[in-house]
Amino acid sequence: MNKPLLSFILAVAGWAVFHYGVFPVFTPEEPGWILNRYVYYLVFTAYLIAVNVAMKLQPPMALRGLYVFMMGYYFYDSILYPHVPWTLFITYMMLWAIGTFLYVSQDPVTFREFRAPIVKTIVGEYKMARIVVFTVLPFLVGWATYNSLYPKFAEPVELRTVHPAPPATTKVHGKTYALEEVSNPFRVDEQDNYKDSFPFLDADKSEYMKYVTEGGTVFFENCHYCHGDQLNGLGMFSHVFNPTPANFIDPGTIAMLQESFLFWRVAKGGPGLPNESTPWSSAMPPWEEHLTTDEIWKVILFEYWYTGWHPRTFDEESSVG
Amino acid sequence: MLLLTLVVSMAMAGVAFGEEEIRPPDAVKTDLLELGKKVYFKRCVWCHGVKGAGDGPAAERLFTRPRNFLSGNFKIRTTDSGELPLDESLIRTVKNGLQGSAMPAWGEFLKEDEIVAVVNFVKTLVEDRDFNDAEDEEVTIMEFGTNPWNTTGPYHLGVPQDAIDRGKELFTKNKCFECHGGEGRGDGNPTMKDDWGFPIMAADWQQCWNFRGSRRDPFNPFHVVRTVSTGLNGTPMPNFKDKLTIENRWDLAAFVNSLCPRKKQDKLTSKPVPDFLISSSNTPGTIAEKIDDPMWQSPDHDPRIVERSEEKAGNPRVNYIALAGQITRGKRNFDPKADNLWVTSRWNEEQGIYYLVEFHNRFLSTDPEYPDAVAIQWPAKLQDLFGAEKPYFIFGDSKKPVDIWKASFMAKDYNPAGAPNPAGYQLDVTVEELNGNGFEDVMAKDETTVQVVDSIFHQGRVKVLFKRALTTEGEMDVQIPVEQFIPVSFMQWAGDDKETDENMAISTWYYTILEPAVDQGHILLMAGVMGTVFVGLQGWLVWMTKRTRKMYSDGKVKQDELPF
Repeated sequence: MNKPLLSFILAVAGWAVFHYGVFPVFTPEEPGWILNRYVYYLVFTAYLIAVNVAMKLQPPMALRGLYVFMMGYYFYDSILYPHVPWTLFITYMMLWAIGTFLYVSQDPVTFREFRAPIVKTIVGEYKMARIVVFTVLPFLVGWATYNSLYPKFAEPVELRTVHPAPPATTKVHGKTYALEEVSNPFRVDEQDNYKDSFPFLDADKSEYMKYVTEGGTVFFENCHYCHGDQLNGLGMFSHVFNPTPANFIDPGTIAMLQESFLFWRVAKGGPGLPNESTPWSSAMPPWEEHLTTDEIWKVILFEYWYTGWHPRTFDEESSVG
Repeated sequence: MLLLTLVVSMAMAGVAFGEEEIRPPDAVKTDLLELGKKVYFKRCVWCHGVKGAGDGPAAERLFTRPRNFLSGNFKIRTTDSGELPLDESLIRTVKNGLQGSAMPAWGEFLKEDEIVAVVNFVKTLVEDRDFNDAEDEEVTIMEFGTNPWNTTGPYHLGVPQDAIDRGKELFTKNKCFECHGGEGRGDGNPTMKDDWGFPIMAADWQQCWNFRGSRRDPFNPFHVVRTVSTGLNGTPMPNFKDKLTIENRWDLAAFVNSLCPRKKQDKLTSKPVPDFLISSSNTPGTIAEKIDDPMWQSPDHDPRIVERSEEKAGNPRVNYIALAGQITRGKRNFDPKADNLWVTSRWNEEQGIYYLVEFHNRFLSTDPEYPDAVAIQWPAKLQDLFGAEKPYFIFGDSKKPVDIWKASFMAKDYNPAGAPNPAGYQLDVTVEELNGNGFEDVMAKDETTVQVVDSIFHQGRVKVLFKRALTTEGEMDVQIPVEQFIPVSFMQWAGDDKETDENMAISTWYYTILEPAVDQGHILLMAGVMGTVFVGLQGWLVWMTKRTRKMYSDGKVKQDELPF
């Protein structure tokens, strides 16, 4: 059998076996040090090299170039996770194509070897190949033209700022608060002391749990529709709104914010956001219209107690020093 | 002897076949109660209350109230009607939550042992029944059979039409329509109450993603088979185990599920993914102004999932718009009656733009003071918006006004408690155009340019066909450009729930675009031209390559050296 053809068949068949048989084994739900997609890719690369070396197939340069290019394509398309956006994918593939070209043109001999089958196709030494290529390509060009001219519409992408800079002061129920200085008046004790306490049952026994119970009551009368019973932003109404409601379980939300920031956001809601945060579609109510100042602070206290996060604070000594 | 054994064992097998297993309920695992109590009072008490009576702080504002555990009635079971559930059913309910209600899925939030523990704790909250009473309590584990068509998720397509037809016959014969309505939108009976005296609605089969117990697998007919076999304790839903054989139940399930539109589901929320772009299709000739024209009869299914019949293949997509109660400003609506709208659009230069807005509403209002209504909201000054900027999504704001096309309507000769009119009800529509400059500043315009050209209420579904010219004289009217993304949102008021003004259901901003007329011939011509030019290029390439070769063979240049 013709060696380049054998090499090609082994590469394609090997890919099919690896991709459909071995890849799923290497992508369990929880990837480990060995069983992960990148190790799989290395193993597949090793297979491809080993089979060609061991069988002394010596694929011609054009085929090697094809292998190198396709391995790059396979990596960016199927291995790299999460998948990169297609604009970035095109950029990567262009760089990869340049790399492949450098590989085949490393010296005049390899470059000539690479060109040989292409030149033979063009001048007609490979007759069938020339007929096929020269008929298919114009149709492909026509098809691509048709596709690019036919109007298609996808919804526009909108960007927004998730954590806008808070103002220096905010006025709630007639009182002005300096956000740098204000703290939660109901944080009367260290919250970790109440990890195993019960709302309602312990509300009479400790002041802290009384505030948590009151805050939770406010939350479950008003907030859970969007922020969810689990405070994960998946309430009954959450799928309707865009932007979707904040997920307080996520380490990127209340866990990295000061309580005063929350106070401002809760009191002023969507309409109080600066322009870059798309205030026009935020469904967050300006809660000062519905809740008292005390209720706002209590619900903030509850959110930290329920999620187990601690509000961000600035160490007084270090900020002074 | 061998033969005798064989005969006896065959006879026994025959007896055992189709017979349900009867046994005592799962006893409470007391060693788990301490952990269960901890979980309950941290996570569950807010809705289900301190004693489990379904009266936590959230309860009052929820429609589909949290379950009251005291009587031991649970909906999702594998046991017979009225019986206690098995632990595995309760665990599954806690893990998956109950779609269409406020009960979230705890499976990815709590650990397995916490879930088992809280289930056991909840069992101790039951007062009227006793899970440990092996003498008086028994449970019959129901037989469900298996899916006869071996359909698979996510969409369970490929159920044979004759099974669906048999299911439809069973639906009629067993009078399912008395509660669930003629087309399954739950519009049969407006007066139902649950065991605790709270109003309750029959399930809307055309929104199977709200079926309790159907999380992440809404199209699976099994859920229907289970509900039909076990009934839903605490509700008027009985079981049909004596009226329907297991095969019958699967057929009925096939019919029920065939009604549910196949739309791509969001894994996180287990609801359809909203269609954020409403493409208005350019319609040459005349756009029909009758809703029953084939032009407006696109199936609700996503055409990428369920292929359309040939005559409807060119119809525009029916876009799914998610709605929620307006819970932001003023009088808030915590229990909207519609949780989605379906919108189809067509336009042309001569007639203008048409939006067919549909939504499910089990019962319309009969009180002229509270008519039902639906509205489309636009930025009134589209030309002044910069980039992604939009007016505030509830009635605009002081700088960016909105233009609202509102159709209020009452059904003619309508009595919600009476037998439904098979032809549906004509609607008495009043069209209003409002300008909103903020939530407190909503004014009706003097002149209206919007028309409702056709409308109907049929089997629990309202359809309203709006029409307007692309441009108008009005300074505060939205002027609709072609081939440009235009923000649009929707509002809906349920009259029988006394919804009015800001007490409504609302969507966020979507986009609509008027697709330009496509000159197919021109595009094809360009494709042909490009192909031909490419053929020329190929010829040039062959000529060039041959020339170079000739230069090599003639010795004019050496290979791998550039000719000067």
